[in-house]
Amino acid sequence: MKLYTSLIYRELKLTRKRFLLMLILFLLLAALMLTPIMLGGFSAPAEGEDAPVEMILLFVGTVALTGGFLAGTNNGLQKADISTGWKRYSFVLPTTAKQQALSDLLVKLMLILLFGLLSTAFAMIYSVTANYNAFGLMLNIYLGAVCAVMLIDVAYSYIIMFAKTKKDLGILGVVAFLGAGLIIKIVDLFSSGTNLLNDNNLAEQPAEGGALISDAAFNRFVTALSSGKTTLCIVIAFAVLCALFFLVMWRSHERREP
Amino acid sequence: MTKRYDGFTLDSISFDVPKGCIMGFIGQNGAGKTTTIRSLLHITDIDSGEIRLLGLDHIKDETAIKKRIAVVFDELPFHDVFNAKDMARIFEGMYPEWDNTVYQQYLERFQLPKKKKIGQFSKGMKMKLQIACALSHNAELLVMDEATTGLDPVVRDEILHIFMEYLQNGERSILMSSHITSDLEKIADMVTFIDKGKILLTGYKDEIIESHGILKCDKERIAEIDAEDIVSIRLNNFGAEVMVQDRENASYKYRDCVIDPASLDDIMLYYVHRDVKEWS
Repeated sequence: MKLYTSLIYRELKLTRKRFLLMLILFLLLAALMLTPIMLGGFSAPAEGEDAPVEMILLFVGTVALTGGFLAGTNNGLQKADISTGWKRYSFVLPTTAKQQALSDLLVKLMLILLFGLLSTAFAMIYSVTANYNAFGLMLNIYLGAVCAVMLIDVAYSYIIMFAKTKKDLGILGVVAFLGAGLIIKIVDLFSSGTNLLNDNNLAEQPAEGGALISDAAFNRFVTALSSGKTTLCIVIAFAVLCALFFLVMWRSHERREP
Repeated sequence: MTKRYDGFTLDSISFDVPKGCIMGFIGQNGAGKTTTIRSLLHITDIDSGEIRLLGLDHIKDETAIKKRIAVVFDELPFHDVFNAKDMARIFEGMYPEWDNTVYQQYLERFQLPKKKKIGQFSKGMKMKLQIACALSHNAELLVMDEATTGLDPVVRDEILHIFMEYLQNGERSILMSSHITSDLEKIADMVTFIDKGKILLTGYKDEIIESHGILKCDKERIAEIDAEDIVSIRLNNFGAEVMVQDRENASYKYRDCVIDPASLDDIMLYYVHRDVKEWS
């Protein structure tokens, strides 16, 4: 336990500036997204009326998406450790590669939990105000964003693993950036061939008043996005990505210099 | 052990560091000192052979070994944003035998500020901090790679003095690589000399220094000296200086020649030129 406290302390201390910046950005965005409530432009629907789902999706979704991106993103520690020589030094320390990888994962999970709680608090404000349960929607968007960014982080970390010196970092940093870009492209190609709702009629349904998507289709989209099935799929993907992240970091800490 | 790189091979090198000894590991830049140290610390994998540290296998028992050793590199590997206090917090969880009292004593002795960021430390302060960290968990083996390089003579002397103190209980050993032979001449009990990936000499420093000598003679007399006695010959305007590896024997064989004692620097220099034999 003492060992993990040390490892986590080191990581948090090194990434605290980046973390504070992310937190400020997130809170600013959340504050901005709360302005409709604060200015009185958003209130609970009258009896018989539907909740303004579009607005909830926009505000809660934006905040959850941003929180997910910030929580899942690479913290730059791997690069910093190579450039200061700590990575080499870590080989002479009594910590094992597995312990170091677990500490990396724990720090990431702590960040994910923190931004998750903040996003939940934000969703709660809208849920209470609009009398509409937005938690499922928020959770799925949040975890979806975390998964997307973690996938890129896993690819990036895997490539950076091969760097041993500051010089390598320059070249491999570019390769890692391109690798991460490639992952986005592959995911994009994959997702463009699949419909979230698995409903071929959706695109054919006419939208009224020049809207890009009809109300019915939008409602179905929101229902699917908030559904338990989607949550289950995303949670499984998240668990797999956590395992992948752990394995990549383990390999990275274990890999010796040539 | 053997370790091969493209264009360089650590070729079946072998040496022992006895308990309670300071072993000086000398050689010119690129001789293989750092590669040897990285191999024994398992920073890099070896191609063949076996390394045992504190009697344990350097890969199989890696974690157990690393709790009992300390390493000092030529450059501080700690992040600039940390201070000395942070380092104690990091290491106390990693080393079961970390002693904060000893660490504080070293900080005070080295006059290192506890809350100043490492990034604002001078080179000497950085090295002292690294040494303070290395000496605060009761390590039985201290491995140093060019730790005194780039430091001024006052700081170097202070650090060498600390190492001598550290060895006083007789249970600890130091392996210290350096190309500054004067430091090793001061404190080392044993010396291992590596060149082009091969160990040329290993043994007690005093024995090595005593057995070697510089024989001074005319250039014409070089032919009379047995090839097997010669390490290499340095030619100058006044004659030749021949490094002999058995000074006592040479003093009998070449009675009319002067044989001066050799320093570690001399021995290193003459051995480096052993392949060309004659150099100036």
